[in-house]
Parts: sequence; C-alpha cells; structure tokens
Amino acid sequence: MNISRVLSKQHHQLRRIKLWTYLFSTSAEEKIELPRRIPRGPTDILRALESTIQRDPTAAHYKYHDDPFLIPKSNATKRTYAMAREAGKKAAHWVRSENPELFNHKECDPPIEAFFPKVVFDENSEVTEDDLKRVIEKNQVSDAILINKLLAKQGAEISADTKQGLLELLCYNNGDDTLNEEFIEERWFRQSSRIRERQRKIWKDGHVAEEIFISIDNPTAEAYSAIIQGMAKYFQVDRANHLFEEAQQKGLVLNIDTYNSLIRVANFLKEGYELRWTYVINILQAINSAGIKPNLGTLNAVLHTLSTMGTSQNVKDLTLKTLRQFKDLGIEPCLGSWYYVLITYCKERGPKSNILSYILDEIEGKTFEIRDLTDTSFFVTAMDVSRNHLNDLNLGKRVHSLLLKGNNYNLIGDSFKESVYYRHYFALLLKNIPLEEFMQEVYYKLVPNIYVPEPSIMEEVLNQVEINGAVEYIPKLWSDMIIFEHSNRENLVNRVLNLMVNAHTADETDLAEKFGTIAWDIYTSINDNEERKYNQLSFTGDMLGNIMTLALQNNDFEKASTVMEKLDKGHTTIVGVPKFEALSLFVDHCIKNKAPSKAIRCIQYASDSGFPDAVVLGAKLNEQLTLDKNHLESLSKIVDLRVL
Amino acid sequence: MNICLGKTIHNSLKLELSLARQLHTTSVCNKVQAGRYKITSKKTFPLTYEMANPPHQIAHRKAWNSWNTANVLDGHRPSETAVEDQFIRMFITGTWHALFASEVIIKRQHNIIRIAGLVNGSVLPRKMYFLIGYTEEFLSFWLQCPVKMELQVIANKKDAVFKYI
Repeated sequence: MNISRVLSKQHHQLRRIKLWTYLFSTSAEEKIELPRRIPRGPTDILRALESTIQRDPTAAHYKYHDDPFLIPKSNATKRTYAMAREAGKKAAHWVRSENPELFNHKECDPPIEAFFPKVVFDENSEVTEDDLKRVIEKNQVSDAILINKLLAKQGAEISADTKQGLLELLCYNNGDDTLNEEFIEERWFRQSSRIRERQRKIWKDGHVAEEIFISIDNPTAEAYSAIIQGMAKYFQVDRANHLFEEAQQKGLVLNIDTYNSLIRVANFLKEGYELRWTYVINILQAINSAGIKPNLGTLNAVLHTLSTMGTSQNVKDLTLKTLRQFKDLGIEPCLGSWYYVLITYCKERGPKSNILSYILDEIEGKTFEIRDLTDTSFFVTAMDVSRNHLNDLNLGKRVHSLLLKGNNYNLIGDSFKESVYYRHYFALLLKNIPLEEFMQEVYYKLVPNIYVPEPSIMEEVLNQVEINGAVEYIPKLWSDMIIFEHSNRENLVNRVLNLMVNAHTADETDLAEKFGTIAWDIYTSINDNEERKYNQLSFTGDMLGNIMTLALQNNDFEKASTVMEKLDKGHTTIVGVPKFEALSLFVDHCIKNKAPSKAIRCIQYASDSGFPDAVVLGAKLNEQLTLDKNHLESLSKIVDLRVL
Repeated sequence: MNICLGKTIHNSLKLELSLARQLHTTSVCNKVQAGRYKITSKKTFPLTYEMANPPHQIAHRKAWNSWNTANVLDGHRPSETAVEDQFIRMFITGTWHALFASEVIIKRQHNIIRIAGLVNGSVLPRKMYFLIGYTEEFLSFWLQCPVKMELQVIANKKDAVFKYI
C-alpha cells in the first residue's frame, strides 16, 4: 500500500516535470535522420549468421561425416578419409566423362554449367574462335592448345584479342593443365612440393606459348608483358630479362605486374647482393620513368628480394625504408609483406630481433583477405619466430588470437602449414606454461579434432610429464598415442614405460592397475605383430623388464611370469637385458607366491646375463623359502651359495 | 466398386430366380496388403521399425520416407520427384551393396536433396568415404542439384532389426 502511494506520487511529479519541459523548452524539432540504405547481397544474411559461430573444437571438421565410425582421429586417417571422398568424386567425374551422352538432360533451371558433361575436342572436331574463347575463359589449357592447332589447320584467322588471351593463359600455366578447382582436398593436402620446384627453371622452352608469341608480328606491350611474366614465373630468367630489354628498346609500356615479376627473380639474375639491389633500383626507376604506379605486388617483390640478401644491417634498414616509401604512396602492406619482413629480420643465424611485436602492434585485431600468395605463410612463420627465434609466450598467444580473429583462419595455408603452425604453438606453450594449464586449456581442447600432435610434440609432452611428475596424465596420453599411431615408435614406448616405472605408485592402487594394463597392452601389441615385416617394434630387454615391473607393481604375477618366460626364451634374440631391480622384484614376488622354480629360472637368467648380484638373489630365495632337494640342486648349479 | 456391386446383385438375382437361393451373406473380404509383411513359419523374417508399422501409422508411429512438397497445392514436379526418388533408392541399393540397413530417406529442401539412412559398418571407413563422395557427386550430376548424404553407421546389421516375424 505504502509503496504504491510513493509510486503514484513519483509518477505525478514526473508528469509535472514533463509538462514543464514541454511548455518551456525551445521547440527545436528533433530531426530524425534515416540511415542510408546499405545494399545487401543475397548471401549477406548467411555471412552475418556465419560470423556468429566459431569453430567447435569438440567436433571434427565439417568435411567429415558426423558419425563416430567416420570421424578421423589421427593425421593419417584425416588425410585418408578426405582424400577417399575426393577419390569418389573423381570416380563420378570419370563415369560422366566416359558416358557424356547419358548426361545431356537439362534438369536444372537456370542451367548450371558444372553439372553438364564437359565438351570434348579431338582432332576431327569442328571448331571456331568462339570455342577457343570459351575454353580460355574456363581455364582449360590443353583444350585451348588443341583448338588453336585445329584452327591453324583450318587456316582460320584468330582475332588479336583471343590470341592475347591464349598467350596469357599459356604463360600463366606454363602450358600445363591445372588441378580442377573442385578438388579442394587435394589442394589442401598436397605437400608443399611447389617450394622445391621453385628453385629451378621449369619454363617450357619453345613450347606453344613461345610459338604464339613469335607468330604475332609486331608484338604489343601486352604480349611482351605476358611472355615475360610467364618466363619469370617459371624461372627462365635470362630470356625474360632479354625480352624485357627488347621491349624497353622498342619503347613499349609494359604493365606493372611484369616489372614486379622481374624484381621477384632478381636473386636468380644477379649473384652479389649489391648487384641485386642495383638491379631492383634500376627496375624501380624504369617503373617511374614509364609513369606507372607501383602496387602491392611491387612492394612484395622488393621485400622478397631483400629477404634473399643476407643478414646485414643495411638490408634491414632498406626493408624499413621500402615499407615507409610504399606507405607514403598509399600502399598498405599485406600479411605476405610482413612475412618477408619476418624472414629478413629473424634469420636462423642472425641476431635476435623483436620486430614481430611491432608488426603485431600494427595488425592486431584486424581481419584479412588474401591479397598475395605468400599471405598464407605469415602465420606459420610468425609462430615459428615466436617459438624458435624469441621463445616468447606472449607473442605466440597474440599471433594465435590474431589467427582466430574473423576469417583470418582462411589464411592458414594448407594442411602442412597448419600442422607446422600448431607444432610450434604447442611446443611454445609446453615450454612456457604449467603442464596442468596446458592440458586443460590447450590439449583437451585442440586434440584431436583440430590438431594431432606429431611424435616429436608427444615426446615433448611426455618430457613435461616427467619434469612435473604428473603421471596421472599417462593413461590419457597413452590412449591418444595408440589412436594417433605413435605406439610403434620405440623412443615413445620406452619413454612411457620408464615414466610409469619411475612413478611411485605403491600407494595409488588404481594408477598401478592402469599402468599394469598399459604395460600389458604394449606387450601384447608388440608380441602379436612380431610377424610384420616393416615398421615393426621389437622387444628390448629393458622394455620387457619395465613391463614386468609394472605387472608386478599391479600384483599380477601371472603376466609377469609370461614376460619373464619371454625374456628367458629370447635370451639370444632380444637386445639388451632388463635392469637388475626388475629381476630382483620378480624373485621377491616368486617368494611371495611360493613359486621357486620360476625364481630359479630368473636367477639363472640373471647370472647368464652377467649380473654379479645373481648370487644375492639366490641367497634371498634360499633364506625365505624352504626349497626342496631338486630346487636346491639346480640353484647351487647357478650360484655358489656357500660364498655368502 | 459400383459395377462390381451391381454385378453381384445381378448374379444373385439370377441365382434367386433359378435356384431360389437367398441373398449371399458372407462378409466381403476387404483385405489390404500394401506395406504389410507375411509372417514366416519360423518367424525369422527381420523387419525394421519402418517395416513393422503399416502405412496407416505414418505420422503416428513413423514418418515418411520421402520428404518433399511436390504434392501439396501448387507443388512443383510431383511425378518427376517420385521417379527421381525411385532412381535414388535403386542407385543407393546398388552402389551401397548390402550396406544400407534401413530405408533410404530422401529429404528435399529448396534445391538440396539429403539422403539419410543407417549403414552397416562392415567396410573400412575410407571405403565408405569413397562411396559417399561418389554417390553425392554422381547424383548431383544426374539430378543437377546439390546432393548430400547423412549417414549413421551401425556396428551390426541386426541393430536395425525391430522384430522378426
């Protein structure tokens, strides 16, 4: 009641105030400003929705089928499954190309080209210039070459435009067909073999591209631009340079990309750093005198050349100057440019440089679209620098958060770069944050759907487990190692076994039990696969000793005896011997389980292996267990009991 | 039906006239057989849940095998849809030989066709991925629209059996 009265009073007052303001305020009418209409594309809503979702680390990538049976767990299966699906697609393409006459129905409206069979050209096809134009448009290189040949046979004249188009297509692809754009998985998983190819000349001398160029009498600047770019791209650098000079003499104005491509191959043209830089300067001057505006490509080409010019301070200064000058021209560097800056500054054998943090200050929080091919190298290099060059956790975290920003993840490159990136990231975190935090925040989150650790990273994780004595993670890690197919790597298996043996599990029975299971798991998996020819792990004495110890710690005498038997039988084939502690422990358990014959065999094995302390074991056995005559006899054959 | 009834009456009248027999009184056998299965003598015939429920249970205890709006008022391509669905079913049973443990469910939304079902996990995952890729791409070429598969893998074919009759 009271409250309502207060409220009504307040309400009354408010109304009075409103009335006053209404009466006495200057009646400047509030102007409603309608925002301008933003033109939206048909997919903008989808994009807006998409931007609200983040990658779910608990689910596999969406290219995989969402079913436990079909979700890949290791790097090998990730690759196999995605490629198998693509192989199926290729099979369907093959069926269609074998029977194109069956696929001529037109169900879709409007017609979608991609669903129709490809038009096949052969020696007897009737072709026109329009066909040539169409295949150039569709990037079908071999078809374009064939049609060009047929047209020449027919004696048909091709217009200059089409000829130019054909020349550009051939120069761009070096006369080879490219991988169909539909096969994204193949592109994703293709090893970066292009880098290896990069170092040698692969331009096809005297191929169709050059024939076409020669057939053009009085080649235009465009024709020169195309052929020079083609040659420079495929490292026929001398002839590219030659043609460039020829064009210069003729006074032709080439396009900016041609200049860029020549700057990019400066390191092939000129040996010495000084000569190289003079050459770059000359070309830049030529650009200037031709009156063309440089672009991002020019910046990246110059930075690329600088990155090949050693570690001197001069180069670094030049790099900064270049960036400054291009900035004055209104050309903002892209991620690729920063990549070149990073590799210029952070050389393996050079002095340490903190340039990455300045770069990050510049680009942090931004989202990027691809603008240069090398943009995809930035993140992996930046993470590499944060780990190997600077070992700076903070920088690594900043790089990672930049990667996760917006659609920046698209610039991770391919599967190879992605896994190298995460390898560096994991190694950096492992060294610099507590293991528990690493496991909770990173490992459980990213493994296995986003990243599967390579054996080297797994070893690093095990290292940390050892340092921190955090053996409770071992069961989880071991089961992961089986899934990731690391369980046949000797160093890792030994590592796990040693860790488990050295952990004192006496008071934690459930851990001892788990370790026992793991050890037995290792034993059976090696034992069962002994017949396999390749990639096979074989027992060592130490390994078996460790397995035996773990079985005993779990009070599993039976399994330990099996292992002991294995040791005994394979005395000649198994490399190395177990630790004496393992044998001693076995004898102790034999005494506990009243199994003197097994103990005697063990002592026999110990003495055969050259352990001088075998006699101590014999004495212990004799002391703690009343042996019958046979046993005493065989024991005294092995060790001289009277010694003690 | 009417003709049939007329004929019966006519016949019985004829009978009455000739033999003075009364009207035929046995009840009419309205046997419906569609979507129902015969019980075998040893009750060994496996039924999936979908098979175990007769058609009048659709929308009560089970749903449709084809989901589309071709047959609603002003729906597009009703006959083509039916024929295509049949094609898809036959293609799947042939391509996924002895692998599909359930009915092939075909769902159409806009221009997308989604094909769902339970698949027996008796082949390696990578082979299954090959089949998925092949089926999706081939049916896309044939039907000229995006086709997607939504599979669930079962460990044992018997997992899809609802009962034996």
